[in-house]
Amino acid sequence: MVGGLVRFPAWRSTELATHALRPPGSGLRARGMEGACKVSGTPALELQSVRRAYGFGHSATVALDDVRLTVRPGRFVSLIGPSGCGKSTLLRLVAGLERPDRGEVRVHGVTPAEACAAKMIGLVPQSPALLPWMSVLRNVTLPQRINPGAARRRARIPGSTGRESAPEIPSMRELLVKAGLGEAMHKLPAQLSGGMRQRVAIVRAFGLRPDVLVMDEPFSALDEFTRESLQDQLLDLWDELRTTVLFVTHSVSEAVRLSDAVVVMARNPGRIVETVELDLPRPRGERLFGERRFHEYEALVRDRLRRAWHSDAA
Amino acid sequence: MPVAAGRTSAASQAQPAEPSRFSLSHPQSRLAWVRPAVWLPLVVMLAVLAALWQWGARRLPYLLPSLPDVGRSLTENPGYYVHNALVTLGEATAGLGLGFAAAFALAVLTSELPIVRRAVMPIAVVLNVTPIVAIAPALVVAFGFGPAPKLIITGLICFFPILINTATGLRSVPQEVLHVYRTIDAGRIEMLWHLRIPHALPFVFAALRIVFPLSIIGAVVAEMSASGSTRGLGTAISVASSMNQLPVVYASIFVLAFMGVTLLLAVTLVERRALHWHDSTQD
Repeated sequence: MVGGLVRFPAWRSTELATHALRPPGSGLRARGMEGACKVSGTPALELQSVRRAYGFGHSATVALDDVRLTVRPGRFVSLIGPSGCGKSTLLRLVAGLERPDRGEVRVHGVTPAEACAAKMIGLVPQSPALLPWMSVLRNVTLPQRINPGAARRRARIPGSTGRESAPEIPSMRELLVKAGLGEAMHKLPAQLSGGMRQRVAIVRAFGLRPDVLVMDEPFSALDEFTRESLQDQLLDLWDELRTTVLFVTHSVSEAVRLSDAVVVMARNPGRIVETVELDLPRPRGERLFGERRFHEYEALVRDRLRRAWHSDAA
Repeated sequence: MPVAAGRTSAASQAQPAEPSRFSLSHPQSRLAWVRPAVWLPLVVMLAVLAALWQWGARRLPYLLPSLPDVGRSLTENPGYYVHNALVTLGEATAGLGLGFAAAFALAVLTSELPIVRRAVMPIAVVLNVTPIVAIAPALVVAFGFGPAPKLIITGLICFFPILINTATGLRSVPQEVLHVYRTIDAGRIEMLWHLRIPHALPFVFAALRIVFPLSIIGAVVAEMSASGSTRGLGTAISVASSMNQLPVVYASIFVLAFMGVTLLLAVTLVERRALHWHDSTQD
C-alpha cells in the first residue's frame, strides 16, 4: 500500500487493454491504447502515432508519445488523466494551435490548419475568454464575422458536415435563450456570474456550428451546482447540434455523465492507455446520478485513472 | 510597474503604465465630491499654500509677486494670455498628434513584426534617455523659428510613453482569447482590429494621461529654446523674465498649469466614456 492506495506494477499501455477490468454482467467496455473505434467513412478526428515534445536533447519533455485516437463524427469523447499527461497538448494539436513533431492529426480528413481555415473547429478554453468591452450578443456573433471565406473552404471539404446540410441552425439569439442567457444578451461580461460567462463561451463555440468542438476543462473553475447545471445545458445543446466534442476534464463523474467514450491518459510520456466506452442512455438528466450503471462506470474510469497515475509513479 | 501620470523621468517612462483589470462602475462614488470630507482637505491645503505664498511675497518681493498682483495681471489683460495660451495649446496638441500617430503606427509594427521591434526599440530607448531640452536648440537651428521645431520637440517628448504603452497593450491580449480566434483562422488585421487595439486602449489612455501634460512642457521648452519666437506662453515667460515682470511670469505659469489640468480632465472624461467597461475608469 502506498498512500492508502493499491500500487499497481508498472505496465505497458498495450497490456492494459488485455487486462481491462469488466465488472461481471455489467457490459462495461474498455478498449486498448488506440482509443479507437472502427470507423467507416471519414472520422471526425484521427491522430496517428503523434509525438510532441518541448525542449531539446536531454532536457526535452515528451508531452505526447505515439498517441493514436480515432473519433467518429457526432461523438462526445472526454480525455481524462493526471496533470501533465498531455491532455491539453492533445487538444491544442487538434485545434491547430500546435503541430506534432511526428505523426499526423486529421480533422475530417484535413489538417487542423485547413480545418481552422474552414472554421470547422470551435474552442472552449478553461476561462471564457470573452471580450470585456462587448455585450454578450456581440461576443457570440463576432466569430461569425471573422474569416468570411471559411464557408467556401468548408464546402470544398468532403468530410465536413457543412452548414447547408445541417438540419436547422438556430440563430445566436435562440442559442443564448436556450442557454438561459436571454435576459443577459445585452449585458457586458463583467455583469455576469462565472457560470454565465462560461455558458456564453459555449454558445459562442456552438454557434459557429463547428464540426469538432474542443473543450479544455471549461467547468473547472465553477462550483459543483453550477457545474452540473452547465453540464445539463451543454448536453441540451449537444443533443440538438450533435457536434463531435473532445472534452478535457479532471472530473470522473463529469466525463461519465457527458461522454460516449472516456479516453484515459497517463504521463511520462503522455499517452493514451485506455478508452472506456460508455453505454448509458441519452438524454442524461439528473436521474442518471441515481443509476447503478453510472456509478459502475465511474468506478471503472476511476480505477483506470488510478492505474494510469501509478503507471507514472512506479 | 505603473507610471504615475505626469512623471517625466526616463526611468519611469521606460515602464508601461499598467491599467487595472476589467469591471463596471459604481455610480454612487461619483457623488463623493459632495461630501466635505472629500473636498475640504484640498481647500485647506490651498489656503495654507496661499498664505505661505503671501508671506514669502512680502518678505522677498523681488523673487515672488503677491497673488493679487498676479490676479491683476490676468484680469487686466486677459486677451494677451488667451492668445498666447491658444498658440501654445495649438503647438502642444499638434505635436502630440504627430507623436501619437508615429508612436501608434510603430507600436503596431513592433507588435506584429519582431524584427521591427528588435531594430526600433533600442533606438527609441536612446531617444528617450536623451534630454530633449538639449536637442531643442539644434532643432531650432535646423528648422528655424517656425512651428516645425516646436512640433518635433513636442512630438519627441510624447513619442516614447505612447510607443511603450501601446506596444505593451497590443501584446496584452490573453492567450486563451487569441487561441479562440486562431481556431477560426482570424487574420492579422482582424486580430488587430477586433482584439489587439481594443485590449490596448486602457494602456493607450494611461499613456495619454502622461503625455497630454508633457505636450505642454514640450511646447513651452520649444518656445523658450527658439529665441526668435514671438508668440506662446513659453515666449511670454522668457520675455517677461528678462524684463523682470514677475506677475506676468507667474500669471503665465498659472495659465499653463490650468491648461495642463484641463487637458488631463478632458482625457479622463473621454477615457471614462471609452473605457466604461474597465477598472481604470472607476473611482
